[in-house]
This record gives sequence, structure tokens and C-alpha cells, in this order.
Amino acid sequence: MKTTTTSTRANAVGAIALKDFTAVRRSKGVVLPMLIVPFLLLVVLPLIVGIAARNAHPPDVSSMLRTLPGGLARPILALPPRERLLVLVDGYLLAPLFLIVPLMLAAVLAADAFAGEKERKTLESLLHQPVPDRDLFLAKLLGAFVPAVAISWIGFACFAVVVNLTAWPVAHHLIVPTMLWTVVIFWVAPAVAALGLGVMVRVSARASSTQEANQLGGAVILPLIFLAVGQSTGLLLVTLPAAIGIGAVVWIVALSLVARGAQRFTRDRMARAI
Amino acid sequence: MDVGSAVHTEDLTVSFGAEKALDGLTFEVDAGEVVALLGPNGAGKTTTVRLLNGLLSPDRGSSRVLGFDPVTDGDDVRRRTGVMTEQSGLDERLTALENVVFIARMRGLSAEQATTQARNLLERFGIAHRANDRVQGFSTGQRKRVALARALLHEPDILFLDEPTAGLDPEATRDVLDLLATLAAEHGRTVLLCTHFLGEAGRLCQRMAVLHRGRLRAFGRPDDLAARIWRGVPVELDLGAPADERTLAALRRARGVISAQPTPSGARVDVEERAAVPPLVANLVQMEVPVFGAVPRPPTVEEIYFAIQEGAE
Repeated sequence: MKTTTTSTRANAVGAIALKDFTAVRRSKGVVLPMLIVPFLLLVVLPLIVGIAARNAHPPDVSSMLRTLPGGLARPILALPPRERLLVLVDGYLLAPLFLIVPLMLAAVLAADAFAGEKERKTLESLLHQPVPDRDLFLAKLLGAFVPAVAISWIGFACFAVVVNLTAWPVAHHLIVPTMLWTVVIFWVAPAVAALGLGVMVRVSARASSTQEANQLGGAVILPLIFLAVGQSTGLLLVTLPAAIGIGAVVWIVALSLVARGAQRFTRDRMARAI
Repeated sequence: MDVGSAVHTEDLTVSFGAEKALDGLTFEVDAGEVVALLGPNGAGKTTTVRLLNGLLSPDRGSSRVLGFDPVTDGDDVRRRTGVMTEQSGLDERLTALENVVFIARMRGLSAEQATTQARNLLERFGIAHRANDRVQGFSTGQRKRVALARALLHEPDILFLDEPTAGLDPEATRDVLDLLATLAAEHGRTVLLCTHFLGEAGRLCQRMAVLHRGRLRAFGRPDDLAARIWRGVPVELDLGAPADERTLAALRRARGVISAQPTPSGARVDVEERAAVPPLVANLVQMEVPVFGAVPRPPTVEEIYFAIQEGAE
């Protein structure tokens, strides 16, 4: 007799996702690291750049710009010297660095949602509820994915305010959002969050604690962060089509990881790991 | 499977790696019955609960719970069962109320219904005054009460209690046992109680299943199991002092007496049936042996359990 309705299942998925987020919000040990990195990256850094640009003698970035391919450097070099630093850093270089935020948030939240249940010994009582395996998995994913993307977007909104407020006296126009930022925010950032989830889902199946999951996940995620840092220093360049392409590749990898994680997410497997 | 059976298992077997956690479990629990699953740690009690609720799939054998197969109809089973796990399973970062409401929401109740139902249950289990406190600071007894509220909020037909008094002090143990005795008596609810505390099993259960290293060693009513192990009915005779040789000889000669041993307060006599007791006492009185009491004392669950376990070793 199958009596579960779609609304009941949606209810259950929502309840689990909400519970996970509520519980995480109350863990200082999880929340603080989650907020410090975005704060430094999206508030402190653009503030420093803005102050530097308003300085009587702003740093000259033209020599650095000349080393970059013409496609990117030319429009920046065409700007007044005081605007070049703002546009280069806030408009281009911080965009890939920003991706650390959804990646890290998704990884931390997913580790808490998957490995954390084992560590807190709450997994068994969850498995005893009449919720299909697939819904449990979906709830856990959403409980990490939605807050990770939402906080990233809120972070970007703060970033945009700080950048434009500090840049206005110099540039007299909005520096962000640009088309590149729009693609990064709405296309690449969710993909990167999904990638963080995909990695942590796999890793959490083997880990018995959140810390262990974070350590194992870090081994996979750290190289991605280094790639973003390398990108932001100009070693690699992202043009708009490249950002769209990179986003697509990340989505494909992330979704295949999540799909494989879903296949392995069975009650029997989890109950044997309790 | 009988029409009235709530749980039926047939050769249920599961291994974790090379080790058999449960080996060929076959038993049946009637609807409305309270059955204790007894055994030391690692006997297979929790594994049985997990199999019966569809958390684990057996390597061999099958089971039916309320007519459903836990392997294929796990959610149907779990919708009708309530499980209180040994670890309580509460999220310490949530309040008592939030912990219960969370489960109620997962079981399909609206937010309003869930809150009302959760408050009622917390009230009933005497923990309403801490409803809005985070579970982090709760004692083990308070956690058990919240866990019981979660297990019962959907009025399950079968209640699985996995070590419900583990980690409790004597007072909290008594409180929880009183609560469980009430619950077991309600609406003819079927209860499967996993424990290695034999006193609570003796107090609550009608039948007991003794597990040892994954195998079922005995299953039945305590009286029946005792009858299989020991011949006769033990009777405690209070004679005010250990029985002397003359008294013991007279007891051993009496009709219906199987054996007689001295005890610090008199003698323990095994008789074939209760009816043998009055003439026995009359005989002692005639011999001018003071008799302060003669109480047939069936073996305790503890004595039965250890006799079975010793036989299994």
C-alpha cells in the first residue's frame, strides 16, 4: 500500500533541509569559518582596493595589464589610471576568487549534513523515518546547496555595495555587476557549490566525523582553490565565453558525482556504517 | 504467519563482513504482545530491530512486520512503527520541541499539528518545562523522554525500544519503566524491548527471546522456559534458621518433593506442583518445626536468562 503523497514527501524533504540549516546556524564552530572567509574576500578586500584607488598615488597596474592578453587588458588600459585598479581587481580578478565561497560553504554544510549525522549519532533515528532513500538524499543536498548558494549571493550583494560605494568617488559609475560577474554568480557559483557537494557526499560516506570528512574533502577541494587563486593572479584568464564553458564543465562533473553519490546512498549501506 | 502476528521472521540472517550478526532468526510476535529481546552486547538485538524496520537487508531469510516486507515496503513498515534507539538520536543543537516537531513534519503533519502534538507528548512525558531548551544540557533520562515522545507521536502499532534504560540512574530507570509499563498496556500496543537489563524485561514482557552471538537460544514465556530448564516449582521455606538434617530428611521424604537444600533462613524445596506445599507445611508443623512462611518462588527472568546463556556457551 503506497500512501505517501507528493506533498507529504515535499514536507519531509523540507523538514530535513530546514532542520539541517537551523542546526548548523547554531554551531559557532561551523558558522564562524563560513562567515570569516566571505567577509575577508567580499568586504575587506574590495574595501582595501577602494581605499587604495582613492589614494592620491594609486598603485600603477598598467605594467601588469600589459602582460595580459590584449582582449582583456585593452578595455582596462583605456580607462583613466585611477579606475584601472578598481576594474582589474573588483571587476575581473576577484570573480574567480569569489568561487571559493560557494565551494567552501557547500563543502562545510555537506560534511555536517552527511558525516555529521554519523558523528552526532542521529543517523539511525533519521533512517527509521518513513522517508524514501532518494528523498533523504535530496533533502540533505538541498539543505547544503540552497544555503551555500544563497549566502554566496548575499555575499556578492555585500561585495557589490562595498565596491560601488568605495569606487563611486573615483569612477562615478557602477563597477559591478559586469557580465562576467553575472555569469559567475548565476552559472558558475551554483555549479561550484554542486561540485563541493558532490565531493563531500562521496567523502562523507567513508568518514565517521565532520572533521574527517573536511580533511578528506580538503584534499580534493584545495587544488580547486589553488586553481582559483592562480586564476585570480592572472596565470589563467577567464573571458566571458570561457566562464560559461568552465561553468558547464563543472556542472557536468558535479552532477555526475552527485548522481554516483545518490546511487550509493542506500539505507542498508548507511545502517552498516553506523 | 498467523493472522494475529505483528512480527514474523523466518531464518533471518545478516553478516557484517565475515561475522554473522544474526544467524537464522525465526520467531513470531503476536499483536498486542510485549516481547523482550535479551542478550549481551553483540547478541544481535539492535540488528534485529534494524532488519525489522528495513534499515538493513538480510543476506538470507525473510520477515513480515504488520504484513509488510521491510525490504520492499520499508516506508510502509516505518510509517506504522516507532523506534526509540539506544542513543536517543536527538540533535543537541535543537530544542526538545524542535526535535519532536522535526520528526512530526517528516511524518507528514502540518507545522501547526506537529507543534500541538509535540507539546502534548512532551507534557505527557513530563518534560514540557524544558520544551524550548536545547537538548545539549539534558540528562540522559530527559533525553529518553524526548526520544520516547518522538517514537510515539504517530501512535505506532509496534514500538521498538532499544535499551530504553541504558545510562539511567535508578530513579530515572524506575520512571522510564513506569512510563513503558503504561505504554505497553495502552491500546494493546505491540512492544519489542531490547535490553540487557533483565529486571525491566521481567517486569514488562510476556515472552522473552534470548539471543547469543546472533542465534536465538530460547523463546517463550518465562514460566515455560523455566519448566524446560528446571523440574518442578521452587518453594522458599522460612523456618527462622537454616533447616537441620532432621528437617531436611523429612522434607526429602515428603510426597511430591524433588529436592531440598538448606538456605540461611530455612530451606529451598523443589516440588512437583504447588499442591504439594500445604501437606508439606502440615508435616513440618506436626514435627514442631516452626514455619514462618512457605512461598512458591518461580525462577526470575535473570535466573532463566543465565541458565540459557550458560547452556549456550
